[in-house]
Amino acid sequence: MMNKKVQWILWVGLIVILILYPKVFGIYYTNLFITFAVLAIYSVSFNLLLGYTALFSFGHAMFFGVGGYGTALALKHIAGLSLLGAMGMGLLAAIVFALILCPIVVRVTGSAFAMLHLAFGQLMYVLALKLRGITGGEDGIGGFPIPPFSIPGVVSINMKVPANFYYFAIVVLGVSLWIMWFFTKTPFGQIQVGVRDNAMRIDYLGFKVPQTKAVVYVVAGAFAGVAGSIFALFQNLIAADGAFSIMVSFAAVINTLVGGLGSFFGPICGAAIMQILEEVTTRYTDRVELVAGLILILVIMFAPTGFMGLVRLVKERWFSPSAGKIKLEKVS
Amino acid sequence: MDPTTAMYVAQGIHGLAYGMVLFLVASGLTLIFGMMDILNLAHAAFFMLAAYFCYQFLSMTGNFWAALLLAPVATAFFGILMERFLLRKIHAFGLMSQLILTVGVSLVILAGVKIFWGTESLPVKIPPILSGLVMIGGMDYPVYRLFVIGMSLVVLAIMALLLYKTRLGKIVRAAVSDADMVNALGINIPLVFTFVFGVGIWLAGVAGVAIAPILTVYPGLEAQMGMDAFVVVITGGFGSLAGAFIVSIIFGLLSSYGVQFVSSLAPVLMFAFMAIVLAIRPTGLFGERE
Repeated sequence: MMNKKVQWILWVGLIVILILYPKVFGIYYTNLFITFAVLAIYSVSFNLLLGYTALFSFGHAMFFGVGGYGTALALKHIAGLSLLGAMGMGLLAAIVFALILCPIVVRVTGSAFAMLHLAFGQLMYVLALKLRGITGGEDGIGGFPIPPFSIPGVVSINMKVPANFYYFAIVVLGVSLWIMWFFTKTPFGQIQVGVRDNAMRIDYLGFKVPQTKAVVYVVAGAFAGVAGSIFALFQNLIAADGAFSIMVSFAAVINTLVGGLGSFFGPICGAAIMQILEEVTTRYTDRVELVAGLILILVIMFAPTGFMGLVRLVKERWFSPSAGKIKLEKVS
Repeated sequence: MDPTTAMYVAQGIHGLAYGMVLFLVASGLTLIFGMMDILNLAHAAFFMLAAYFCYQFLSMTGNFWAALLLAPVATAFFGILMERFLLRKIHAFGLMSQLILTVGVSLVILAGVKIFWGTESLPVKIPPILSGLVMIGGMDYPVYRLFVIGMSLVVLAIMALLLYKTRLGKIVRAAVSDADMVNALGINIPLVFTFVFGVGIWLAGVAGVAIAPILTVYPGLEAQMGMDAFVVVITGGFGSLAGAFIVSIIFGLLSSYGVQFVSSLAPVLMFAFMAIVLAIRPTGLFGERE
């Protein structure tokens, strides 16, 4: 089929672009891209909860932070830990943390869920600031050793070279993205959407609603942890403000909403848009808050379905077979 | 009186004063949520804006009392503008949109404040009658803190009278339980909503003016108060004024005695209290069960 061929060409094209990217754009834009990729995965994991299960994790930064601190602490205290081992520690920390919260949070929905997360997220932030002995307070944990990526006897790649780290980060994040995509396509993913749309009916059908929520919750937390872990390795630093602060939680919400709620790739588009906007505004003005605030207000007022919503509208208007015949009603 | 008791009492007064201010902010937040289902994340930004207005009016008129009256009203005016022209238009899009919108507004207010008044902390002088100490029963009390406690109690009493003794209060309470039905009875609910929103922001404004002389006026006020007020509303239960009151006082005392005894962990105490309450009752102390 033609469509399939086009799809393959697009995939190969994307991979070629990703491989060539650091050579073409240089170190600055390579690092920018890693930041974007980390935020994108983090936002997708957030959307896994919100868009697919209608659980509004308004303190999603806590998983990001726990993952980051887990990796940083492991590298600082365990000598000779491998790179994947350190990432595994971050992942494990995020999973354990999600498992601890699970019994409390699956009992509530809607705004109570959101506020619980806002509160727990803030608790983690304050703890990270105050438990100086473990977390280093405001300064965070920095300068921990970054081990090379090695398969014993086969290969050892120095991760301090930015381009190498780029490939490593892209592969890890790409695999995470693929797993999450796959996760939403399984039968379990369908139950998940069912819980969002009508939890009571799913319950009648014999599926266990709280347990379903719990599984999604742990998965979303785990991938936010992976994003945090990569972020810690990338910066070689993890601090309370960059990992646990309320702005990190907002970032996921903003990316998801700007990109488009309920679409898998929406948060990725949102992360890209916000990253580009931030890059451009910091170049011309130091009133970043003002610009960010105005953009949020404008998006909500005039494009409440986000970027993907606009794309859908354009598609329906000009590219659907019936375009021109049906006059679209104004979406208010 | 021996010094230990004096210390306990002094810390208690500090805690009560902070708790009352916290309650003024939290009550507006919980009132707006209970009635309109709006989580106003810009609430603390309005609180901060009121403190700046207080500074501005004070430097223009030189009269603290004029600032105390005018600043909250001016703040409420901006709050009403936001409700009327922004929040109302997106009501159909649900909680998420409201959260993002109010975050956007709070960022704009923060940026505006920095543009107009800069980032330094600005002092607010209180009139001589409120400064200094007063001797009651052989102990010195800071007059201004007592004034803050008294003023908050007066505001609380007025609010209670308004809510439970007037026709308007009856309408508001009815709207909390079923806004559509009240609307169908021929009462202009959108207007009532605007009024309640205005009152909520006004309360935050009063709190902003009250705190200005104690903490001085600076852009960080928002973050400091915002999280505390939210934690109070969450712990007390959404939409519950009684819950907000009790938890505000507990938090005020926790923070002032906490600073005294475990200074580095004082903020953790508050969150730990919240975590314990929520683990047992996910909807908060006085929240309705879902």
